[in-house]
Amino acid sequence: MTNATQVSESSQTALSLRGVTMKIAGLVALDNVTFDIPSGEIVSLIGPNGAGKTTAFNVISGYMPPTSGTVHLFDEDITAHSPHTIAARGLVRSFQRTSVFDDQSVFDNLLTAYHLQGRASLLQSLLRLPTFRSEEAQLKARVWDMLDFLELRHRADERAGSLSYGEQRILGVGIALAASPRILLLDEPAAGLNPSETDAFKAMIRRIGDSGVTVLLVEHDMHMVMSISDRIVVLNQGRVIAEGDPQSIQSNPDVIEAYLGSGVKRA
Amino acid sequence: MNWKLFAVFVATLGVFPLLWSDPYVLSVMGSAGIMIIAAISLNLLLGYTGQLSLGHAAFFGIGAYTSALMSLGFDVDLGFGMTWQVDAKPVWMAFVTAILVTAFFGWLVGKLAFKVRGAYFVVITISFAQVMRMISLNWTDLTEGPMGMISIPPLTLWLPGEGVVNLTSKAAIYWLVLVVGVLAYLLVAMLVNSRQGRAMIALRENETLATSVGIPVTYFLSMAAIISAAIAGAAGGLYAHTVRIIDPDVFLFIYTVTMVIMVVAGGKGTLGGPVIGGLIFGLMPELLRGVVEPEVQWVIYGITMIIILLFLPRGLVPAMYDFIAWLRTPFAIPQRKTGHSLAKEAN
Repeated sequence: MTNATQVSESSQTALSLRGVTMKIAGLVALDNVTFDIPSGEIVSLIGPNGAGKTTAFNVISGYMPPTSGTVHLFDEDITAHSPHTIAARGLVRSFQRTSVFDDQSVFDNLLTAYHLQGRASLLQSLLRLPTFRSEEAQLKARVWDMLDFLELRHRADERAGSLSYGEQRILGVGIALAASPRILLLDEPAAGLNPSETDAFKAMIRRIGDSGVTVLLVEHDMHMVMSISDRIVVLNQGRVIAEGDPQSIQSNPDVIEAYLGSGVKRA
Repeated sequence: MNWKLFAVFVATLGVFPLLWSDPYVLSVMGSAGIMIIAAISLNLLLGYTGQLSLGHAAFFGIGAYTSALMSLGFDVDLGFGMTWQVDAKPVWMAFVTAILVTAFFGWLVGKLAFKVRGAYFVVITISFAQVMRMISLNWTDLTEGPMGMISIPPLTLWLPGEGVVNLTSKAAIYWLVLVVGVLAYLLVAMLVNSRQGRAMIALRENETLATSVGIPVTYFLSMAAIISAAIAGAAGGLYAHTVRIIDPDVFLFIYTVTMVIMVVAGGKGTLGGPVIGGLIFGLMPELLRGVVEPEVQWVIYGITMIIILLFLPRGLVPAMYDFIAWLRTPFAIPQRKTGHSLAKEAN
């Protein structure tokens, strides 16, 4: 990606799925899924349980190669690439389960997550050459900045596993952000959070969106989805059944039927 | 890293032969030191990347045999009437070659074994050590088989005023092992406190999360395997040139088990763990000798290990850090921290 193309990123397609089908042991988890995510938007992927949302995430982020179809990241084919190369190209995900390095301090969690930002070679590291020293100092400074962004500075020295559930989820997003994503995939980030934690989380996602990162969100909390999404993609039984802005999705009869009137109506 | 503590510890070990020059004691310390170096290398794999290599004696043995063969010279019948002859090389060159050859085997085993992990990795490493033992037993043209290799030359050192001296005295061997041990310790210490080391620890902690932030798993596991094998090879080379007789028993499973005990009892994933564990379990058999019957020695050895693991399951070094933290905060309930974070604090 050159600088020239990055300037016009707002009108670009950040992520594009074309005819993605995923069969798992005979079960069709994704059936010919096609959608685009414009750069710079906050997009939610919703659908009833078992609709294929997490499978879609796994396929996009490289944890599962699709049976057929393609995934493009900023016009670059990333279908079935390994997760770490996809992360290096700027697509980073968080996980549904709490995912932090439990046994390490919050600070070290983020320092580890800045892996891609480091360049020092093994020899430079082992011999503690100036390149290594300045890089370490720079990475540590970035960790402090990230802690401020996450509002977790006061927790820096604590064991990540001992943080509250909400803070662990925030740290999990911080770990993903440390890999400097151009597009961030969040898998049910607000699951299990209490209302005030959810509000804090929503504010953070807005801040991430405002910083120019495209966000793709899988979420069940419809209040959150409707209030922060620019666009919504609805999956049901592995198919895209609707796509559009929150208003049109709420009044879409197919969506209401898929949810049996429960989730969406309440919103 | 706590440089002051480290310097005091190394200096104490350094002046030890001047204070207590009993050759028997020095020789015991020297052999324990070689096992500690092997344990340091195992700790890199087991403690920091979380991969249990139960064939670590293989790397030790490959280092010992390679160094011995290179320093004695050998010839191999390639078939078709051709032989590959290698003349005896200077001992230091043999020693360095041994490290490089072992590193290569570390890469090879990593390449084969890291596609599968967990139990499969354990099985592959055990098999690898058994294969190496079989080769050393049966390829008698090269290794002399069960007869073993004898008259292995010692390492040498040029000293001002004295010229080149053979490192054969017990004190010389002790210092030699100490120097290599300190280098191995520093190598691992520098590695684990760097970006590369953090990537290895991340793989141990949560591999899925590690790949999601762009850490290539197999690359860093291979790197750890290569460095770990190289250090074990250095320990094997030291063994060959200080004991000066080797036989296929260097590949025995019991040596791997001893290394694992040292690492686990001392505290895996801590820098000091293999050193402390190695000192205790390396010296205990010798300290007990003459005091109690041999059978009782092993019983005491086993009971000590069980007691440590029962009451201090994370090992002695993390327990020590916990204790220090507890002393420092006598009035508050100490926040339970991990051995890793505490080890880092002390570093």
